[in-house]
Amino acid sequence: MKTAILAALLLAAPLLAQDQLATELDQVARAATAMVDGDVASRIQTARSVASMLETNPRDQWAAADDYDVDHQAFITTKKTLIRLARLCSSTCDANLWLPIAGALGRIHIAIRNVNEMSQFWRWGDLHQPVPAEMKSVLETGKRVTVRKRPGMVSVLAPVYDSLGDIAGVVEVVGVLKPNHQENVQ
Amino acid sequence: MLGNALAADLTALPAHVRSDPFGQMAPADRTANVQPAARIALSSAREAYVSCRILVSNSQPAAYTLSVSGPLETSLFREWFHFLPKSKLYYPDALIPATSPYRAQLPDSGNRIPGQTTQSFWLDIWVPASAKPGPYTLTASLDAGGSKSSLSIQVQVLDAVVPAAGPIVVDHNSYGTSWFSSQYPELAKRTPNFYLSDPFFSLIHAYHRVYFEHRGIYHQLGYGHGGKTGPEFAPRLEGTGKTKRVADWTYYDKHYGPLLDGSAFAGTRRGPQPIPYVYLPVNPEWPASFLWWGEPGYEREFINVMGQMEAHFREKGWTTTNYELFFNHKKRYKAFHWDGDETRFPNDMPVFAEYARLMKAAVPAGSPVKWVYRTDASWQMERQFKELSGIIDFWVLGGGMFGWYAENAPILKQRGDTVWTYGGTPPVDQPASHITTDLLRPWMLGVDGFVRWQTVMPGPDPWFKSNGGGETLVYPGGRFGIDAPLASVRLKLQRNALQDLALLDSFKSAISPDTLRAEAAKRYNGTELKDWRSVRPKLADSDPLTWDNVTIGEAIPPDPRFEKDLDAAAWDRVRDYVLTLVKERR
Repeated sequence: MKTAILAALLLAAPLLAQDQLATELDQVARAATAMVDGDVASRIQTARSVASMLETNPRDQWAAADDYDVDHQAFITTKKTLIRLARLCSSTCDANLWLPIAGALGRIHIAIRNVNEMSQFWRWGDLHQPVPAEMKSVLETGKRVTVRKRPGMVSVLAPVYDSLGDIAGVVEVVGVLKPNHQENVQ
Repeated sequence: MLGNALAADLTALPAHVRSDPFGQMAPADRTANVQPAARIALSSAREAYVSCRILVSNSQPAAYTLSVSGPLETSLFREWFHFLPKSKLYYPDALIPATSPYRAQLPDSGNRIPGQTTQSFWLDIWVPASAKPGPYTLTASLDAGGSKSSLSIQVQVLDAVVPAAGPIVVDHNSYGTSWFSSQYPELAKRTPNFYLSDPFFSLIHAYHRVYFEHRGIYHQLGYGHGGKTGPEFAPRLEGTGKTKRVADWTYYDKHYGPLLDGSAFAGTRRGPQPIPYVYLPVNPEWPASFLWWGEPGYEREFINVMGQMEAHFREKGWTTTNYELFFNHKKRYKAFHWDGDETRFPNDMPVFAEYARLMKAAVPAGSPVKWVYRTDASWQMERQFKELSGIIDFWVLGGGMFGWYAENAPILKQRGDTVWTYGGTPPVDQPASHITTDLLRPWMLGVDGFVRWQTVMPGPDPWFKSNGGGETLVYPGGRFGIDAPLASVRLKLQRNALQDLALLDSFKSAISPDTLRAEAAKRYNGTELKDWRSVRPKLADSDPLTWDNVTIGEAIPPDPRFEKDLDAAAWDRVRDYVLTLVKERR
């Protein structure tokens, strides 16, 4: 009986820690909705870069990546807000910004990442990707969603609004129970 | 069942011709038109390695003992045959140390090659500066089930001494250390808290050592595209704004101390000496938080920490190494608003100047610490040469594109800048000579070095399903009980060519550099000096924002003399020229 209780406690401990992490990330995500400016965010990627991203260059698979460009001021302003949000976390976390791609229904791209390069959705190097179901839900309902896909990692997705009251994007506040110091140092 | 040892055969090949596991010449090297022979004659200057290949062949399974003896010091390596699923061919590359006398069986049960009839060995012969010029004879002996045979290895030692330093730095680049645990799973498993343990730091130093021992250098970038630094790459910081400071040097010093004072290389043939270059951990997020970018706090954090770094290096006496301020991030990876690497957009350029200003503010005038500001440039290199003059002093330039602008090399060097080019690494199924083009071309163009952008990634299964090894020149030794990287055939070929190049370059006081270059080009691949750079295309006069990889590729037309027509013996002919010069000088 004692062994069974001990085993149950051992199993429960990480789940409890993950719940505590999720609760904290949810608070930060809630703040993100208030703090991130959807109008500024929508100006991050330059029009030329968006146009290149929507084209498929049959001769050069890297063309859109080589053309990827941002408006410095919009990027910097938004990134600083995301860094401030991450500082609200008591342990390692990142706040990433995701923006739907105008003109490409069903596609979304990560527009700003941060120092730990954590995300449960981004695949290294992808300029854009299909909108994950969890993000689609946030974009449609405006309700925050908590995601636990990768072991030990928790993301809370929160909507970002513009001045018209439309949802302009999604902030992914993501944390991990056990940080890997060597990961993403490359 | 082992038997029929009577048929065992011992032959030799020159270093630039590889065998397959069935005694046939590797397809890529067949143009050299060399066959295994019962004896081999080599020539070498002193303070250098000279190498050849020994083949043990038997049509039937057999146990054997191979030994090498003679008046010069030797190192024997068993060549691992890598299977390339794409071509279904085997090529030797990884070199497993084999102590003479070496006892083994054919086929090699570890290499698992059905029908293997030949095992090849790489033999390094060290000719010390103290060796008396003249003929030396070494003997390779094979004992296969009581049947004995031998092979004569003649070495003619010349009176010339290979200079310790050559004209070209060959750099081997890598990124972080996260790959250690997958390439050395046993070491990681048996070492508590592997990362930051003593064996971990020893492994880092072993990578530096293997490249150092092969006349190269090794770089390990210590931060990610988002600015994350590993604790082994950057001192721990604390505070914010005006209170930001270095709190702990422990792991930084454990990592870099032996590299910066040279003790990591004690016991090597080249002796202890500090590494000539090292990346700093500086990036847009370190040491200053990007949160303060453009504000007084950014400058304060940067100056505080970089000032401490300067003082630390100075106090430790680590003043030989060039510390590189270098930005590797690209905006496509979404962490920063400007391209630090291969900058393409003109409005990113002013950021470089800002960091130069910050560095100048952080480092006291007259500091003995050597700082260099490096950029890796491609699209905009011509514009950057002008706009970043006096800011960037260390250029690492896309090798193909630099051919368009090569007339800038003397201009950059005249103003005191260091100029390297960069590119990849020929895979194992290219002719053995191809590895040498990358060091000969910079020498032809009058620049200082070449960076192989990735040199430690042998792929998911290098042993039985090789991807060709285009991103590595070393292999993890764990499979053979060695917690260190193993050198490769290509790395040895590169080392030997670097020795020859150092010797060739030493003649420039007696023979004009252009004559030396022209002769080397002629012998290498029947080219002239002008063929070693591309003609400036019309594209170069248009806006780089209108280019793509296809138009760039079209503007660098392939020259078969450097590719498919470049035979395995190309470098060997240059070596012959060098040795002829040595003999003539005598």
